[in-house]
Amino acid sequence: MFYLRGCGRWVAASFTKQQFPLVRLSSDSAAPRTPHFDVIVIGGGHAGTEAATAAARCGSRTLLLTHRVDTIGQMSCNPSFGGIGKGHLMREVDALDGLCSRICDQSGVHYKVLNRRKGPAVWGLRAQIDRKLYKQNMQKEILNTPLLTVQEGAVEDLILTEPEPEHTGKCRVSGVVLVDGSTVYAESVILTTGTFLRGMIVIGLEMHPAGRLGDQPSIGLAQTLEKLGFVVGRLKTGTPPRIAKDSINFSILNKQTPDNPSVPFSFTNETVWIKPEDQLPCYLTYTNPRVDEIVLNNLHLNSHVKETTRGPRYCPSIESKVLRFPNRLHQVWLEPEGMDSDLIYPQGLSMTLPTELQEKMITCIRGLEKAKVIQPGYGVQYDYLDPRQITPSLETHLVQRLFFAGQINGTTGYEEAAAQWEKAREMSQGVIAGINASLRVSRKPPFVVSRTEGYIGVLIDDLTTLGTSEPYRMFTSRVEFRLSLRPDNADIRLTLRGYKDAGCVSQQRYERACWMKSSLEEGISVLKSIEFSSSKWKNLIPEVSISTSRSLPVRALDVLKYEEVDMDSLAKAVPEPLKKYTKCRELAERLKIEATYESVLFHQLQEIKGVQQDEALQLPKDIDYLTIRDVSLSHEVREKLHFSRPQTIGAASRIPGVTPAAIINLLRFVKTTQQRQAAMNESPKTDQCLRNADRLQERQL
Amino acid sequence: MRNSKPPLAVICTALCQARSVLSSIPYSYCQSRCARTLKIRSHVARGTTFRYTHLHRAPASLSTLHQPMEAKIFRWWAGRILRLCTRRSSGAAAPGSGATIFALSSGQGRCGIAVIRTSGPSSGHALRILTAARDLPPARHASLRLLSDPRSGEPLDRALVLWFPGPRSFTGEDCVEFHVHGGPAVVSGVLQALGSVPGLRPAEAGEFTRRAFANGKLNLTEVEGLADLIHAETEAQRRQALRQLDGELGHLCRGWAETLTKALAHVEAYIDFGEDDNLEEGVLEQADIEVRALEVALGAHLRDARRGQRLRSGAHVVVTGPPNAGKSSLVNLLSRKPVSIVSPEPGTTRDVLETPVDLAGFPVLLSDTAGLREGVGPVEQEGVRRARESCNFLATVVASVGAQSPSDSSQRLLLVLNKSDLLSPEGPGPRPDLPPHLLLSCLTGEGLDGLLEALRKELAAVCGDPSTGSPLLTRARHQHHLQGCLDALSHYKPSKDLALAAEALRVARGHLTRLTGGGGTEEILDIIFRDFCVGK
Repeated sequence: MFYLRGCGRWVAASFTKQQFPLVRLSSDSAAPRTPHFDVIVIGGGHAGTEAATAAARCGSRTLLLTHRVDTIGQMSCNPSFGGIGKGHLMREVDALDGLCSRICDQSGVHYKVLNRRKGPAVWGLRAQIDRKLYKQNMQKEILNTPLLTVQEGAVEDLILTEPEPEHTGKCRVSGVVLVDGSTVYAESVILTTGTFLRGMIVIGLEMHPAGRLGDQPSIGLAQTLEKLGFVVGRLKTGTPPRIAKDSINFSILNKQTPDNPSVPFSFTNETVWIKPEDQLPCYLTYTNPRVDEIVLNNLHLNSHVKETTRGPRYCPSIESKVLRFPNRLHQVWLEPEGMDSDLIYPQGLSMTLPTELQEKMITCIRGLEKAKVIQPGYGVQYDYLDPRQITPSLETHLVQRLFFAGQINGTTGYEEAAAQWEKAREMSQGVIAGINASLRVSRKPPFVVSRTEGYIGVLIDDLTTLGTSEPYRMFTSRVEFRLSLRPDNADIRLTLRGYKDAGCVSQQRYERACWMKSSLEEGISVLKSIEFSSSKWKNLIPEVSISTSRSLPVRALDVLKYEEVDMDSLAKAVPEPLKKYTKCRELAERLKIEATYESVLFHQLQEIKGVQQDEALQLPKDIDYLTIRDVSLSHEVREKLHFSRPQTIGAASRIPGVTPAAIINLLRFVKTTQQRQAAMNESPKTDQCLRNADRLQERQL
Repeated sequence: MRNSKPPLAVICTALCQARSVLSSIPYSYCQSRCARTLKIRSHVARGTTFRYTHLHRAPASLSTLHQPMEAKIFRWWAGRILRLCTRRSSGAAAPGSGATIFALSSGQGRCGIAVIRTSGPSSGHALRILTAARDLPPARHASLRLLSDPRSGEPLDRALVLWFPGPRSFTGEDCVEFHVHGGPAVVSGVLQALGSVPGLRPAEAGEFTRRAFANGKLNLTEVEGLADLIHAETEAQRRQALRQLDGELGHLCRGWAETLTKALAHVEAYIDFGEDDNLEEGVLEQADIEVRALEVALGAHLRDARRGQRLRSGAHVVVTGPPNAGKSSLVNLLSRKPVSIVSPEPGTTRDVLETPVDLAGFPVLLSDTAGLREGVGPVEQEGVRRARESCNFLATVVASVGAQSPSDSSQRLLLVLNKSDLLSPEGPGPRPDLPPHLLLSCLTGEGLDGLLEALRKELAAVCGDPSTGSPLLTRARHQHHLQGCLDALSHYKPSKDLALAAEALRVARGHLTRLTGGGGTEEILDIIFRDFCVGK
């Protein structure tokens, strides 16, 4: 119908700053003159680009609507990607064939793995990214994605129609109205921007509405959402000033050099685009008592800090650090913004002091004595949509086929303000929203990542069942099955599922993951089968600190658990049959990691199965918890369930305040419904619970 | 087994059995003075601890007295361990999917037979371990077996066992039923023995039912009453846990949980923020010191555990009321022995006196308390405070004359008016506006039958309901989780893989918070953000 085979080239060709007219193509279909897509993605930020490409990869004709095509891939606030926990998310997005990891491998200027000495389960892949390169590479990728059309335009309103009877929700979205009055129809719509979310920028005592210059805030969209009954909360965040690179005295500061060799983010890359010796260093300096003094003396000039808008428990700004932890030296990382950028980003100096005081404070800091502030730091306050209003597939409870990604939790689309952790979070949500919007079009079951399968699952489950009162940050401490959900095995966890259940993974990547999985399994069973006495091991590998007092045979897998042993030394000791496992560097390293965690993973597996059993028990989507009669639930529990609308018994049991008795009641209800359904129609089509239980068993096998 | 004095080890375990015979030598004496616990780590059953009691200064008379028995038991015991080891090494113990759970499923209170159930893949294994490696009995046939403790080899009971291989069982999983003799010692012994089998843990509220449900084993009518039952179960367990955690032990547990949570939070902070934000020096070292101290404290507590948890089972009945109402007289009457000193003077009882008694067939912990009054000496005031406190944890209150009703109205309350002998037969009775009450005369014993009948009803409501959590089970739970915590702590090695070390702490904390409540991730994050300046 609408899909142009050469659309990538078409947009690339017209990729100049002029406005595009709305594309109208006549077609043979019954709805002439109105463009019709499978999926529309509103917003070209991190969530939007991931969502649009994910939907397109799943085979949906996708339209990406953005204010300006030339801002696609513009990086937010912090010029770095990844980190501890966030690196895990990026790996998982990559395992689902997402963009960001591949782009980062082409655009970084400083690659470093954090937590190197704390164990591979908590390694944090991180990179400083060149803004210009990132944007270029991202735009190239976006504009060359098959099935994806990019168009400039601001959305004014949603087109709502009658709901589908077999699903819950007040109504159904079937397209968008643009500011110029034209309409575009689509089967699913993903909302990722938030310029309508009443953002305010705060510097000192000044406040003014945020939003890009010249952009009309889409009032209609905001009003529609409000009218539909979406619940909104308010959060705040901030950004540090930018400093001129040539005004900093780096020679007296601690230098941090990048890793050698660099570890790429993407499973498909062996290495990154730049050699370690060509990468840029970061520098470390500290605040001092004079910084504290300036902050404390000028609190009266700082409305962002004073206001009661709920701030996070952690310390987002230098002001909160000084207030909560006085008389300490705080770290300031000086990070490059790119190869040929003359700006430095002082990580840790987010502030909202009046502009003139910002410079005064910065010049107190060692190395920054002559620093010039190019652009002052500021605070942002904004509305966010309560994430408990969406399902784990990121579809809203209220409006069918409307998906939220990114901004549901307060990422606003103000390029400057979204911090590094928001990027990873946005991208994860983007990819999941894109996949599910597409699956919804083809009437396939949603693709939900469980807490037991990935950090993405923990993130979305936490947000959709518990809600949030502060910008959500991904910590490894939030993850129950941390030792199972590692950056190294994201492909085994998600690529195979992404290929089979979502269809968002390329054949090549899928085959690579399959090969890796079977090689790992084979390697582990070979390692288990080799058994020698401990004294023989000691002879073979003298550096191993194995105790020789035991007379029992020791498996090669157990020897590999020793810190001082790796696959190379093991293969040297037992060349046959271990030699072939050292040929692939990645395989050898992953075998070592699997061995390290082997014993603990065995126990964790049992727990995981318990959680999965609960998650396989699905609750009917259309329960009206407030009025339902044949379930005896307390009013409080009803309200909680009504608001969060858990999809499974597992999710329901994690909602604070939902008692074990309520859970049993719900179980009973599921059973009743199942029986009623079974009686009504014999076909297993509607029997979601059964199907899920089957799928679970299949996966266990 | 290479230990030079194994025969001595068995004496004490034999003592438990022969305790009634050897009543001339108090068991507690052997426990506290003569006995100490040794651990042997079997290199075959890696990581599994066999604990046996080693009498190193047993009274001479004892060892001479029971030599034949001692030798016999030792032979049996050694054989058992050998068999156990071989079985372990053959890998037969590998647990399948999901944990195996166990619980006392018959009602609590004095009964002839108690039924203990297990469900899960390790059920068969547990049955074999408890029945000294005999083959599994034929499916769904009752067989007589001698049950014994896998750790000490101590015989527990001769019991009927039933083996229900899945899916033809109550829950659809492999199930075992142990029909044991109903005494508290036997039941608690079997529960503890089950808890020590790897892969087994006490069931959570409603867990059997949920498994049965998940496997499609319950029909709707069976599920009908469940919610109420689960509610009662959780409520009873909560109160049970509260009572269990009352006093010193509870204080200890909460303290441990707090220490562990903090140590874990600091380790987690070091993992999540150590490289980006500046944490102070020595975060890990401090956590390490705390964890090691905790390990020592827990170890010492567990070695000493038997004494501390003796007879906390049974319903707790507190007698409270104004001074000189005759509370102590009532206690003496009910326990048929002079527990408390009685005198006509108000304020004779100044402390909480507890005595285990058998009331109308129920095991009961009866507490006499100081009369509730103000403005007396500090000692009595403390007594009054304790009296009030004990009312917070009781199952039933027997209040005497004109009692101020205890603050929490959810408690079961029996109002008893004593000294009915002082009422003149033809004079006016007690005021008509009094709540429902019983008349009693401790002096003449008049009204005692009525009181006992009323108490029986109350106690049946508290103990007899099959859904209420049993103290025995709570105790087994307690020990199971403390041991689990200790085992997990021994895997904490921060010098190596920190993620692995943190996992050990997480598992340990999981065990403790099962006892104390709480335990979410947010608690950890709260501590991290409170103690460290992190975030950018």
